[in-house]
Amino acid sequence: MNLTDSKKKLALAGVVCGLVAACLAYFGNPANMAFCIACFIRDTAGALGLHSTETVQYARPEIIGLVLGSFLISVATKEYRSMAGSSPMTRFVLGMILAIGSLVFLGCPLRMIIRMSAGDLNAWVALIGFILGVGTGVFALKKGFSLGRAHTANRMSGAMLPVLMLGILVLALATTLLKSSQSGPGSMHAPIILSLIGGLIFGAFAQKSRMCFAGSIRDVILMKNFDLLTIIGSFFVVMLIYNIATGNFVPAFDTPGIIAHSDHLWSILGMYAVGFAAVLAGGCPLRQLILAGQGSSDSAVTVLGMFIGAALSHNFGLAGSGTALNAETQEVVAGGVPMNGRIAVVICIIVCFVIAFANKRSEGK
Amino acid sequence: MRKKELKLVVTFHTTADAMAMEKACRGKEVPGRLIPVPRSISAGCGLAWCAPLTERDALLEVMEEQGISQEGLHECMV
Repeated sequence: MNLTDSKKKLALAGVVCGLVAACLAYFGNPANMAFCIACFIRDTAGALGLHSTETVQYARPEIIGLVLGSFLISVATKEYRSMAGSSPMTRFVLGMILAIGSLVFLGCPLRMIIRMSAGDLNAWVALIGFILGVGTGVFALKKGFSLGRAHTANRMSGAMLPVLMLGILVLALATTLLKSSQSGPGSMHAPIILSLIGGLIFGAFAQKSRMCFAGSIRDVILMKNFDLLTIIGSFFVVMLIYNIATGNFVPAFDTPGIIAHSDHLWSILGMYAVGFAAVLAGGCPLRQLILAGQGSSDSAVTVLGMFIGAALSHNFGLAGSGTALNAETQEVVAGGVPMNGRIAVVICIIVCFVIAFANKRSEGK
Repeated sequence: MRKKELKLVVTFHTTADAMAMEKACRGKEVPGRLIPVPRSISAGCGLAWCAPLTERDALLEVMEEQGISQEGLHECMV
């Protein structure tokens, strides 16, 4: 089935992915974190012991399912292509930036949309930064930015990340080696089988539809093409209906318990870095997982960069903290972005600019 | 809504090549426009150059002149 030959089918892909996210939120994933790539990579990094923040450690089957779903559907439909060699270490750094920027804001672009659909006005503020970041990336593209072409690689190379993901799943199911949070966001999750099936379905539909949050805005700015934005729009509408129906729609800034903060400048700058890095890397965090699943070793390296970036975010105290309610005093304690996180975001943006304007297309190549 | 027509679609190895193609074609006044790579051609999310079928020779000439290497030249409904 060609999901992309009409806007209706693209919208259908967004609806399916929205239903998956809504189901996972209903069955136990944290509020407004129904399906967040950065948060779930951070949790999985914690499960592997890459960081030691005890409240965010859990091998999220959604991440495993996304990669495997993309891998299986691309093999089944003969779209699997093992490719590699387009500035892998630069992509690793861009992956780190994707994770650090997202965790400062508290969510990847996918979760930003989910938070927006729940009325979280902080996410609407962050959207400004994300659009500006994508716009800056588009400007760099127009100025000749390129990380060079990828080449066909050994067939097994592209299958390595899916195999590693399968390995994490086996460890999670058959051993006690992985860490698992007893409290906090990491302890809140839908049943494993449901999360895995959700990830597989989401991954398959995202692969077929080419769902990408950065790409959707890039295409609008660059070509006035709204195809990819149609998917995001329908995803948003499904989550909006879900949130209204379940009473989770609260249009406000300071809402305790939804894992968000109102540090607007840093929400904007965090998502600016994410939008910018996503255009340079050729896709948002979700898209990187999908591309890795369909055989791109370059995207697999970007995913590894996200794992390290997520781990560093917690090891070095870069991640934002959510506004919370003090159980004893019943006072609202404002969340925010620590100084280390602010410095990190500024460094990330500078690095994006260096990468964007130091990597040019070679004439005649 | 624009009616779909059979068009020439040139795909490239990098987005930068597609951007270079746009710049070159604008300079030479060769008709066409940037589009997302049609899904029927690739699962990737790069850019392609879309032009009328009659412009095949002009496109090849521009690419030859500017040293832009194509990944593929397709005819498809766009």
